[in-house]
Amino acid sequence: MRNVQTVAANTFREAVRDRVLYNLVFFALMMIGAAILVGQISIGIERDVIISLGLTAISVIGIFIAIFLGVALVSKEMDKRTLYALLAKPVKRWEFLLGKFAGLVMTLTVNTAAMAAGLYIALWSVTRAWQSSDIYILAAVYLILLKLALIVALALLFSCFTTPFLAILFTAGMYVAGLLAGDLRTVHGVELDPGTLQWMRGISYLLPNFENFNVMGAVVHERSVPVAFVWQATLYALLYTAIVLTGAAIVFSRRNLK
Amino acid sequence: MGVLLLTGFVCVWQLQEKVDAERTKLQLGSDELTLRSPAVIRRLSLEYAPLLGAVYWTRAVQYFGGKHQAHDSNLEQLWPLLDIATTLDPNLTVAYHFGATFLSDAPPRGAGKPDMAVALLERGIQANPDHWRFYQDLGNVYYFDKKDYAKASQAFEAGSRLPGTPVFMKIMAAKIAAEGESLETSYALWLDVYQTATNKEVRQNAEEHLRLVKMQMDLRALNQIADNYERQTKRRAASIKDMTEAGLLSGQPVDPEGFPYVLGQLGQAEPNPKSPLRAEWMKERK
Repeated sequence: MRNVQTVAANTFREAVRDRVLYNLVFFALMMIGAAILVGQISIGIERDVIISLGLTAISVIGIFIAIFLGVALVSKEMDKRTLYALLAKPVKRWEFLLGKFAGLVMTLTVNTAAMAAGLYIALWSVTRAWQSSDIYILAAVYLILLKLALIVALALLFSCFTTPFLAILFTAGMYVAGLLAGDLRTVHGVELDPGTLQWMRGISYLLPNFENFNVMGAVVHERSVPVAFVWQATLYALLYTAIVLTGAAIVFSRRNLK
Repeated sequence: MGVLLLTGFVCVWQLQEKVDAERTKLQLGSDELTLRSPAVIRRLSLEYAPLLGAVYWTRAVQYFGGKHQAHDSNLEQLWPLLDIATTLDPNLTVAYHFGATFLSDAPPRGAGKPDMAVALLERGIQANPDHWRFYQDLGNVYYFDKKDYAKASQAFEAGSRLPGTPVFMKIMAAKIAAEGESLETSYALWLDVYQTATNKEVRQNAEEHLRLVKMQMDLRALNQIADNYERQTKRRAASIKDMTEAGLLSGQPVDPEGFPYVLGQLGQAEPNPKSPLRAEWMKERK
């Protein structure tokens, strides 16, 4: 595990050096702008907009980082030929992959935590009071982080066997398909034979269901997020990420790097 | 280099103004909705429907405000905007609450489409069954705009059964069921809207209605006094002064805007021709 830790720490340091956390400035400016503007152009949704905009920004910025950096984790090392020097040392390929994954998840955790703090500050500046339901924002942020970890794992998997461009497309495609996975089980208005329906049902369970991590609607409207739901989503993310990372490790270990 | 960039941006700005002018000539209204299907927009919004719902609600507010300022009563796009906003976020309670007011109020205050307001509120009730305010809004639409007092009473009654609902709802249900339309009921309904409004525009709207209802109550009282005067003197009073001199009034009564009431040609009490409330009163009479 020491090798994994070393790779993870280096990945985090590299992300910081690459000014990945600069996106926080953009986030801060956007939240300040929204806090000033929204009360003047709309009616009765100041709090809703701050929370939904904040959570959307945390999610979208995180997804961009997870996909683009996730794909670059392996491909960049190969392009720069630093991977060969690293693998010549007693570092197993799966350790390298796991370290890269952990490093980027660490970066995303720091980034997400900073944005969550920014969201709370913006919320305070608009409402000037805390509500007990504000705590659920943390649950939403935590679930977004789980989603981002899963996206990083998918990006790693795809980058192990295809070009960076295709890996980006596949990861983004999986994200969108994963959001619509639930719909495959509840298709209305079309006549389909039972075989097709069963097939679609099967596919819907195979796809990563990203709706499992979406509680934005509930949090915006001050509704509680059940603890059981958070636990189940955590387990789902852990299980699915483990499967994807195992797949990535298998593909990467068989890849001819010469 | 800096000057060059600045000049470039100034040119872009000027050019955009020309393009905007051309677009106006082409009558490409900025309030046109490119996508009208709420279901499609919901799918396209991925997991960000709540934010997009807020964006569409803000568009609805801006659209309504813009038309209101321009004194344009064509509010054709209001329903699609509200439909999309509430489909994207079915729990966006403000969109149902204010949206129903925008839709139901008669022009020029609103779109004059109470049926759509009812549809919007019924959808709101379905998505938020514990929100008693929607029943009050529904009752108000049935009472003021559709003049369906049985349904208005039913709406207040249904809302009064929800936990946490104020007693006011039960009282209004009974009052409307017993009296139908009455100025006292209207006054009580608007007073509650005024007292509970959290928004400046809504409070202002309620205040205007309260002034109008108060004036109608004054006119009714003045007409009763004029009837008494006629019974006593066997002739109809020609002016308010006649009734004051007969001791039936202690002084010159004024409307909520401070303008003295007058008696019309048929001896009926009317708002002063200079009063800003007169136009509203004329409209109500029609």
